[in-house]
Amino acid sequence: MSFVRWWWGLVLAFALLALARVFLPLPFANEVVIFSIYTMGCNYLLGRVGFISFGQPAYLAVGAYAAAFYLFYFGSNPYFGLLVGIVAGVAVSFAVGTLFVRLRGDYFALVNLALAVIIFYVMQKMLAGITHGDNGLWFLTNLDSTPILDLTRPEQFFIFAFIVAFALWAFFKYLDDSIFGACCLAVKTNEDKVNFLGYSNFKIRLVAFVIANTTTALAGAMYAVYLGFVSPEITSPARTADPVVVTILGGVGTLYGPLVGSIVYTGMKDVLSKVFGNWELVIGFVLVFIMLAGEKGIWGTLAPLFKKVALRVAGKAGDGR
Amino acid sequence: MTMQLFISGIIFGLSLGSIFFLMTIGLSLCFGLMRIISLDQLLYYSVGAYITYSVGLLTGSVWVGIAAGVIVGGAAALAVERIVFRRIYDRDLPFTMITSFGVLIGGVGVIKYFWGLVPRPVAEPIAAQVFVVGTEIPIYRLVIIGIAALVYIGIWLFLNRTIIGKAIRAGTEDVEHVEGLGINVYRLFTITFVIAGGLSGLAGGLQAPLIMVDPQMGLEVLAFVFMVVIIGGLGSIKGTLVSSFLVGQVVSLGSLIYAPLAQTAPFAIMLLILLVRPRGLFGSHLLKR
Repeated sequence: MSFVRWWWGLVLAFALLALARVFLPLPFANEVVIFSIYTMGCNYLLGRVGFISFGQPAYLAVGAYAAAFYLFYFGSNPYFGLLVGIVAGVAVSFAVGTLFVRLRGDYFALVNLALAVIIFYVMQKMLAGITHGDNGLWFLTNLDSTPILDLTRPEQFFIFAFIVAFALWAFFKYLDDSIFGACCLAVKTNEDKVNFLGYSNFKIRLVAFVIANTTTALAGAMYAVYLGFVSPEITSPARTADPVVVTILGGVGTLYGPLVGSIVYTGMKDVLSKVFGNWELVIGFVLVFIMLAGEKGIWGTLAPLFKKVALRVAGKAGDGR
Repeated sequence: MTMQLFISGIIFGLSLGSIFFLMTIGLSLCFGLMRIISLDQLLYYSVGAYITYSVGLLTGSVWVGIAAGVIVGGAAALAVERIVFRRIYDRDLPFTMITSFGVLIGGVGVIKYFWGLVPRPVAEPIAAQVFVVGTEIPIYRLVIIGIAALVYIGIWLFLNRTIIGKAIRAGTEDVEHVEGLGINVYRLFTITFVIAGGLSGLAGGLQAPLIMVDPQMGLEVLAFVFMVVIIGGLGSIKGTLVSSFLVGQVVSLGSLIYAPLAQTAPFAIMLLILLVRPRGLFGSHLLKR
């Protein structure tokens, strides 16, 4: 039974891939896919572990800058750049996580945001000699074209990004079904009972933290490779809430939430900033509205409806047979 | 570092700390009483600054502008409390944090709609300088420090000498008991929120002549406000006072030694303090509601 569901997921994914290529402009599709990878980490932290992190851009910047440093100064293979980004993500989130996950939820949120802003200043001013400050690092011409999937070409990058997003989606789905996923949910609900059961709160949280933020760092590295350019702008204070907003928009803790949220968010950003010009106003009010309306988000509201329709269709099919 | 540079650095740090104090006291009070993290205080800060700019331009007196900023900041806080926060007091912390962030971003959008993107300059109300130990010091900075001191005394008197203040302090210990005594806690919440908004507006108005007023100004001080709150401990007014002046001095003196230290040194201090005391210097345990 579960095999069938997996198989359907794959078919659906590739149908989406083909559809996205036909109907959506390529930059938009790329943006959406990377953004949904970016949001997955935040979604996992918020929905499964109960950590709200306003500092996700910090880890995004870590991944992006690690990849950028490698590609600008040392090498030219984009795949290796991504790898460097992931390694940096693991290292930083592990080092920071050992300190952060001990904190109470409210302090955790505040500290993460402070980290994001500090990384912004470090990249913009303190390391300006290496990062070229606000001008950013440009290395698009440094990139080698690679065999099989050439990451320097947007249309092939899209296929690669889609495969990565799908793999991550499957990975988080697997985590949900595993004992570790159950532990995370348990930590969110009641830490003391988890302790009584003999699990270490600290370890569960740390591992979840590292997994989520490595995902974010990977998204950062992918941004770097895709754009061929990194500037401190990606972690600027005005953008710290983006992943949280998208997570809430899509629906906290749902599997498809990040994807739906990213599509809506990027779409709204593209369309509205052209028509309306005042982006913050819209997103602020949408956020407050969703929170007041029951914080289920778009997918969280739609999913039960879909299920109902699917059940009805299935029921009718059963009758016909 | 010469003596003069050092003294002006100290004064600069004190005035910066005063601004931080005025901003974070609202956050701290709101957390203590209502158990919400009200990021929208940063919005009232920007609103206060913009009102100071507009009214100051209209009347020709920056002081009138600052007073108007306080009033409008408080009024904006009242409106937001009535429309948004009243509905979510019983929700958990992350929820209120996200919602207030939504209010903050939306508010920045409103500011952009009314005033546009161009940074606005505000004239310094007192341009005169005094000489302290051979160092030129702008009187305006001393005035800011004085106002912060007055506010601290005022808040202290309010919380310790009036019935409403005592009820607020009791509410930070145990809201249900206060409610059981027949006190309308929701009115206390409103009063606290408006005071917080007004103080944030005051901070914005006082800060306006020292910087360029632009829509992102609230987001720019965000990190510092957070660091102050974390170092001092959420919900503690004494902690807020100590940590805001600590951060102010670190920023000011740090930037004299090596410019990028201004942003990174407070962060390093925050990490150190969190290592030793995960709840900040004076942070209370999260009492049961």
